[in-house]
Amino acid sequence: MRRQKKPCPITEAGIRYVDYKDDRLLARFITDYGKILPSRLSGVDARHQRQLSKAVKKARYLALLPYVKGQTG
Amino acid sequence: MAKLKMRRTPTRRYEAVYIFDSALEDTVIAEKLEKLQTLLSLAEPAELDHWGRRALAYKIGRHENGYYIVSRFVVEPKVLPEFERALKLDDGVVRYLLSLLEHDLGAPKLSEEEMEARRLRADDDDDDDEE
Repeated sequence: MRRQKKPCPITEAGIRYVDYKDDRLLARFITDYGKILPSRLSGVDARHQRQLSKAVKKARYLALLPYVKGQTG
Repeated sequence: MAKLKMRRTPTRRYEAVYIFDSALEDTVIAEKLEKLQTLLSLAEPAELDHWGRRALAYKIGRHENGYYIVSRFVVEPKVLPEFERALKLDDGVVRYLLSLLEHDLGAPKLSEEEMEARRLRADDDDDDDEE
């Protein structure tokens, strides 16, 4: 009854190390509120998920991604 | 991590992202950047990537936009404290991030066209990622 494992979308894109400057890529792995999407939902493999979490945090600091989305002021 | 040969040549590769005040003239930004980079006394000129003005994801102080510049360089770590001090003191720099560049980031070198194609594709299959 186990679901088929999804292929890792980051591996599939041919990415070795996730780039914190690629906000278009990172935006695909955050929720509507700006939280990092869990890998069980996105199918990202563990190695890339670790990189992703660091990358998102750097991107937030650089105002490439919001800390909290959908908030005014 | 640290390679053996680093003992002899204690330089490391860094990547810095600067966010300049977007209200500044381009020439002023170029000047400031030049001045900051000279503090590093680089053996080889830094690899620069001007993103230009773009909207910040959130307001930083009174700033809503910033002028982004990405710079990559090889430098001895000991010059960095002074460099960072100058960055912090410069009012024209809204924010900066200095990080070690230990691995090439992203997918293997893509040309501009490939980048664009990938971005378009990424937009197209956005729906695939939803649970």
